[in-house]
Amino acid sequence: MGKVAKDIMNKKLETISADATVYDAIERLIDKRIRSLLVLPKNHDDSYGVVTVRNIIFKVLAKNLDPHKIKIGDIASKPVLCVPQDTPLEKILEIMHSHNIARIFITDENKKIIGVASFFDVLHNVLIEQAKK
Amino acid sequence: MLEKLLGGGKLEKKAITKIQEYLKTLCAATECLKETLLQESFEKTYCIENLEREADSLKREIIGIIYEGAFLPYIRPNLCNFIEIIEKAFDHMKVCAFEYRYILNSDLYGLTYKNIEEECLRIAHINVEMCQILIKSFKALWTKDNIREKNLAIRILEKKVDEIKLELTEKIRNCNLCKITNYWEGKIMSDFVDSLVSVSDVIEDASDYLYLLDLSLR
Repeated sequence: MGKVAKDIMNKKLETISADATVYDAIERLIDKRIRSLLVLPKNHDDSYGVVTVRNIIFKVLAKNLDPHKIKIGDIASKPVLCVPQDTPLEKILEIMHSHNIARIFITDENKKIIGVASFFDVLHNVLIEQAKK
Repeated sequence: MLEKLLGGGKLEKKAITKIQEYLKTLCAATECLKETLLQESFEKTYCIENLEREADSLKREIIGIIYEGAFLPYIRPNLCNFIEIIEKAFDHMKVCAFEYRYILNSDLYGLTYKNIEEECLRIAHINVEMCQILIKSFKALWTKDNIREKNLAIRILEKKVDEIKLELTEKIRNCNLCKITNYWEGKIMSDFVDSLVSVSDVIEDASDYLYLLDLSLR
């Protein structure tokens, strides 16, 4: 049987509040050596978002905006794309390709986000499986 | 390269078969450690010591065969070094099993160990995967297969263990409910975690060594 989302996902989810500043996010991304942060919903009606290095560069820094003044909620991509934890790897790649996204969030049976799978996770998995042959 | 390495002789083939057996024993030990942690079994911890003894006797045999005249003289110390690197992995697993027995029989088994159990199991599983690739890597050395891609996969897995180790350390440090009340409990937990995460370091070293050996034989 092929691998599924939960086999390759990264469980280390770093979150940030939508009210935090972009500069807070930059600090977190650098400190934790990661490329994205999960943006928490503001309330029950709100959904999760994601802020990536790409968002920060193109929506803030490239426009010469002050990262201390911009809120994460203003630049986060919403809603995030999620798949159940038993989604096959092939399906994940298909979704990533069709939506042109570099990461996809993984949910459990209660639709709670439990991990994230990025291009790097997919690449690592492919290389490891090839080496096992 | 195969001819250069083997010299085509019986002794060389015998040594290679024994080294493969040695690596399979290592793999069995990593699997045994994983099962021990999964089943939380006190008795199972002893299988690692048994496998280590088996490996020790295999090591003596291999070195004996090599110094009887297997392989070209300049390859002999490299292969012996490779075996000695692997031996360290057995040592780490033995310490890990030893400390685990203490954990199972103490208060550490409660909140302290349970707090990091998931990470420990993930590391034990990765150790097994790394060993399986190391076996392929050794085979690749004399079948002229691509040893570089095996080496890369092992490096990726080792990085994963490093990341889990950081998560694990953070969890222990920030756990308010965990009770490490004296020096010895702290030492048991520290030695257990250290030895568990060191197995992957050793496998990575062995893989790097094989890669360099492959380069030197070209």
